[in-house]
Amino acid sequence: MWKLALRNVSRQKLRTAMTVGAIAAGVVSLVLAGGFVADIFVQLREFTIHSQLGHMQVYKEGYYQYGTQAPAKYVIDDPEPVKAALLKNPQVNDVMARLNFSGLMSNGRSDLAIIGEGVEPNKEQKLGTYLSIIAGRHLTDDDQFGIVLGEGVAQSQKLSPGERVTLLMNNKDGSLNSLDFEVVGVFRSFSKEFDSRAVRIPLAAAQELLTSPGVNSLVVSLQRTADTEAVAAATRLQLSGKGYELKTWEELSDFYRSTVELYDVQFGVLRLIILGMVVLGVANSVNMSIFERYGEFGTMRALGDRNRTVFGLILAENVIVGSTGAAIGIVLGILLAVAISAVGIPMPPPPNSNTPYVAYIRLVPLDLLGAFVIGLMAAVTAASMPSWRVSRSHVADALRRNI
Amino acid sequence: MATRAPVVQVEHICKDYKLGEETVHALKDISFNIDDGVFLAIAGPSGSGKSTMLNMIGCIDTPTSGKIVVDGTDVSGKTPDELADLRSRTISFVFQTFNLFPVLSAEENVEYPMLRRTDISKSERKERVSFFLNTVGLAKYAGHRPNQLSGGQRQRVAIARALATRPRIVLADEPTANLDYKTGESILSMMKAINRAFETTFVFSTHDQRVMGMADRLVRIEDGELTTLGVRAGNVWKYVKEKDVPIPTSDAEMQQLLKEDPELRRMIMEDPELRRALLDDQSVAGVAGKGGR
Repeated sequence: MWKLALRNVSRQKLRTAMTVGAIAAGVVSLVLAGGFVADIFVQLREFTIHSQLGHMQVYKEGYYQYGTQAPAKYVIDDPEPVKAALLKNPQVNDVMARLNFSGLMSNGRSDLAIIGEGVEPNKEQKLGTYLSIIAGRHLTDDDQFGIVLGEGVAQSQKLSPGERVTLLMNNKDGSLNSLDFEVVGVFRSFSKEFDSRAVRIPLAAAQELLTSPGVNSLVVSLQRTADTEAVAAATRLQLSGKGYELKTWEELSDFYRSTVELYDVQFGVLRLIILGMVVLGVANSVNMSIFERYGEFGTMRALGDRNRTVFGLILAENVIVGSTGAAIGIVLGILLAVAISAVGIPMPPPPNSNTPYVAYIRLVPLDLLGAFVIGLMAAVTAASMPSWRVSRSHVADALRRNI
Repeated sequence: MATRAPVVQVEHICKDYKLGEETVHALKDISFNIDDGVFLAIAGPSGSGKSTMLNMIGCIDTPTSGKIVVDGTDVSGKTPDELADLRSRTISFVFQTFNLFPVLSAEENVEYPMLRRTDISKSERKERVSFFLNTVGLAKYAGHRPNQLSGGQRQRVAIARALATRPRIVLADEPTANLDYKTGESILSMMKAINRAFETTFVFSTHDQRVMGMADRLVRIEDGELTTLGVRAGNVWKYVKEKDVPIPTSDAEMQQLLKEDPELRRMIMEDPELRRALLDDQSVAGVAGKGGR
């Protein structure tokens, strides 16, 4: 039967070629669209991780829920053993500490309530940051008492790099403490609100201000993003019962999650549209050829073929057409994807960023398989209705249509 | 000849179908038997219902009422699959339009109906293909596709295909209508020869005189009614439903018959096809003395 199907398929070469072409075009667009979306996901993921979150963060238990109001209450007093434990894991690239605080900043003329973060500047630099410098430079480990200010802070206090400010805040015991800093840079993030209140200083200076050796969070970066879940599970086990909590970047980034969901839905709709278009295109040509061969199917049944055999033959023909089209589509799609990726697609800056980036077409084996299946399904779906009708039709009527 | 049981028994067949609002009675209460090994012609003008009759014998159409028994099996109430299996074992078709599969070669076309027969081995299949292609004289065209063959050759392939399953009965719907005179003639004599050699039952629907001339049974249908049932016994048509009509060997004999039998003369005059079958019109006009044209 497959031999007969194959010969029937190659009988109307032009028509078969057009059907195959329609399916291939659909599959190509699925491969490209899917690969593009996959690349956006990956880039967004890496961007999210390297802007601030790291792959995961370890806190004192309760910090994630209540810490933003009172960071001083949820401090890991002795971070070194935890750090050492984390670093033992070979998949961990680096661990760095952050300490949050709030207080007043004075430029000698007026005061401003600010929120701040003590960080390990070089390590932060290595992980990457969502802060872009608009004046001066980033903090480095050498700036013992350097400070970078949000754009709004700098504007309202009329500060520029090189000038000096004083930070004033309550330490753990409730007494006031103050330190002088030199402005080394002004940064801009994605949030104007944040920029008008935020400053960053080195971790050691923050610990001195708060007279506390502790940190609020330990930010862990891994060698490979794919290991996140495994390392998180292992670390949770390691830290359980010791009063810590751990959040992965996925749990920390609502934005990533909702973006992926949105794109997934959009891409699902796109898939449906392509499927629908391919089905319509294929249905047209399948219908035409089946109609022309009505008498032939009548002959088959008059010669003693069961309805099922006729139905099967038509389906077999369209499985051949569908898989040929889908295979061509996959190959073309891969070639195009490689070609496009070699050039790259210039993209506007994503949200949370002001740097444009270059997108690629990422080929995910599972998506390729999905595209193939959709191409094949389209052909089979389009054929099943008319072939069902043919196989149920009246033999004598079908024969009469033979010319 | 009728010592064996009939291959087909047609009992009180009626066929109605709807044409728009009206119900058309295509066949009205038709009964006859088809004996084994006969060369039977179903004759009648176009639209008389002869093709419908043939389709019902071939189990590709079902009667509104009545019973058809094919090879001992009552086919009423059978499922499409059961009918398909019955067709593949006992019935073969030869079509007016040949209906070969265009993508298959001559030998593959002949082989096709045997493919689903699990009881025929591969070697047996190959043997039959070459045997029947040889029988119809197309052995050297085995590898040709239908579009490389002439009309007559195509019909020969179709006949080989019909015979390959060794059916009890071959149904041929106007097998010569799409062929020129000479080709039609040779196809017919070939079928007749096969009928004699293999004792395969042939049933034709036709309005071709030559087909009726070669037949040994005649079923005449007009306006859905069976008007004549003829059996050829030697040189004589014995009419079951009407009067027996002898088959004259010469014009003189015919004229003698007509003179002796006014009833026969009337019958022949009223039936233009029978008239054409039995005599040339001039002699009838001369003998019968009536305005035959």
